[in-house]
Amino acid sequence: MTPARKLLLQKILAHSLLIAFIVIILSPFAMVVAASFRKGNFAPSKIFLTPQELSLEHWKFVLGIPYQEVVNPATGETRTIQAGSPPLGWFWNSIKVSAAATIGIILLSGTAAYAFSRIRFKFRRRILTGLLILQMFPAVLMLVAYHTILDDIGQTARWIGLNTHPGLILVYLGGISTNIWMIKGYFDTIPASMEESARIDGASHFQAFLRVLLPMSLPIFAVVFILSFIFFMTEYPIASVVLTNTDTYTLAVGANSFLGEQEKLWGRFAALAVLSGVPITVVFLLCQKFVIGGLVSGGVKE
Amino acid sequence: MSEGAVEIKNLVKTYVDDRGRPTFTAVKNINLHIDDGEFMVLVGPSGCGKSTTLRMVAGLEKVTSGTISIGDRVVNDLEPKDRGIAMVFQNYALYPHMTIFNNMAFGLQLAKQKKDYIQETVGRTAKALGLDTMLERKPQALSGGQRQRVALGRAIVRHPTVFLFDEPLSNLDAKMRVQMRSEISKLHVQLGSTMIYVTHDQVEAMTMGDRICVMRDGIIMQVADPLTLYRQPDNLFVAGFIGSPPMNLLKGKVEQREGGLTFVENGEKEKGAVTVPLKGAVQAAASKCVNKNVVFGIRPEHITDQATDGTHIPITSSVEISEPMGSESLVYLKAGSGPLIARIHGEHLFHLGQQLTVQLNLDKAALFDSETENVVR
Repeated sequence: MTPARKLLLQKILAHSLLIAFIVIILSPFAMVVAASFRKGNFAPSKIFLTPQELSLEHWKFVLGIPYQEVVNPATGETRTIQAGSPPLGWFWNSIKVSAAATIGIILLSGTAAYAFSRIRFKFRRRILTGLLILQMFPAVLMLVAYHTILDDIGQTARWIGLNTHPGLILVYLGGISTNIWMIKGYFDTIPASMEESARIDGASHFQAFLRVLLPMSLPIFAVVFILSFIFFMTEYPIASVVLTNTDTYTLAVGANSFLGEQEKLWGRFAALAVLSGVPITVVFLLCQKFVIGGLVSGGVKE
Repeated sequence: MSEGAVEIKNLVKTYVDDRGRPTFTAVKNINLHIDDGEFMVLVGPSGCGKSTTLRMVAGLEKVTSGTISIGDRVVNDLEPKDRGIAMVFQNYALYPHMTIFNNMAFGLQLAKQKKDYIQETVGRTAKALGLDTMLERKPQALSGGQRQRVALGRAIVRHPTVFLFDEPLSNLDAKMRVQMRSEISKLHVQLGSTMIYVTHDQVEAMTMGDRICVMRDGIIMQVADPLTLYRQPDNLFVAGFIGSPPMNLLKGKVEQREGGLTFVENGEKEKGAVTVPLKGAVQAAASKCVNKNVVFGIRPEHITDQATDGTHIPITSSVEISEPMGSESLVYLKAGSGPLIARIHGEHLFHLGQQLTVQLNLDKAALFDSETENVVR
């Protein structure tokens, strides 16, 4: 075999392998998309739909648009269907909660990471290790405790108790230790001389943090923002315990409410699932220009 | 005391760990006076406390005890920005997300200076440094030499009374380093400000400093102008640190022999140990340490092939290595402990093993006490 042919063969082999992987990864996604456009309620099972199966009924329901449904095929009797508490409201709930929690996470973990990275204080290392160990326990273990705590808080401050968004955000804000570690790791790679230089230039600790360290750390903050946002958009266990009123549901909780014991409304579930991907994609596109490396390069020479 | 003078009194720096336990004392009770407008170089091997001292002057490290004054103010508890200093870092420490203009203007902006003034000052300084065409670029787009020039410009626009340099040239290539060296020296002449310059490179120290402060293990070994340091080192450390190749340092004893005091190197004569009759200027020193262990020091250029003025003593030994460099040669002669390096002028080639007679200029030699490591004068 000539070297050229061998190379061609290798390329074909490598590419078919890669394509196979992509198909494996994408097909479940395609099945969900297909299910959301499929007439009737079928669990996601097909990738391609025949034109007869195509229907926008689930999307209309999810988006709160009234549509006609045939009740009795024999007489051709129809009825108008419109979602009671519109799933679009859950969508906004999810975006509100995710955005607020993510911004809170960024503020808390960013400042904490700064302290852990730059300030020497007693028990610094132990607290850092403690954070890591605490994070190893799954948050689900604490569900009951969260419920009780929020219930108690709700007795005095209704607006932050059970079944409220601020309450849910409060619980979400507890999950910052991995983010602290991540941001601290990034801060550690930025030489201290950057802020020292800023301090000689006359900046206070806070100004040095805000005007020098923060802009240099945009990539890691973008990563934390994306990861947290995706996590909160899709988080189910905590939200399902905290939120019990359909009006306050987030997308994940709302979507799950379509999968009842008796009736599993897969079509609506699929449409909601696809819908929840939209803000995640938007956030990702917005943030990705910050996630470029090399933002730090050029300021110092190692 | 004049405005830019720096006075360091009984300065100590002890580092502590997270719990406040002392771990390491980097600076051990040093005293140093730097005149207004003086270019003072702190030099020493890494870990000698030179950078720590500079950082304490800058206000980036807390002083453990002692005082630092700039002008007639004690600055121990002042913020860096209130000390009238500017600092240039080894890694430039430019702000990568800002343009060159903003990098240089940052300090002035924080000080809430007028826009026109900032524009004018930064523009003028950038022009003087040859940076005026790249003010809108980011540091990333600049070469190492240009970046260090920006760092220099950022220091200049603040009009500090004292400039602090922390190994500013270490990251540059050899050619750029020589060029920046003379630029900084020129800058010192132009501005007339006090400058404190930290380096581990003795060539930089010798070429730039009005005075040089040699440090080791947190202690000042000697403070003097470059030539005094070179000619009259106070101790073995300075003698070995300053000069390249370093001063020849032979361990031995001063003995009373026929014809006067003689330096006898440790080791057997057959293996090359040298004996030097001590005459001339070094004789007086030798008389103070008869029968004591001493180190005999002589610089390579004072071992030549021809006797000129002064007291010369010939010795003969075999050539171990020869490094011809054109106008001169470094010849490593066999001696009892390590080689004896001679710097011989003229275009010669020496072969290995060749017997060579060289002249030691005893007027330029020095004796050090082996125990205290201090010079005997």
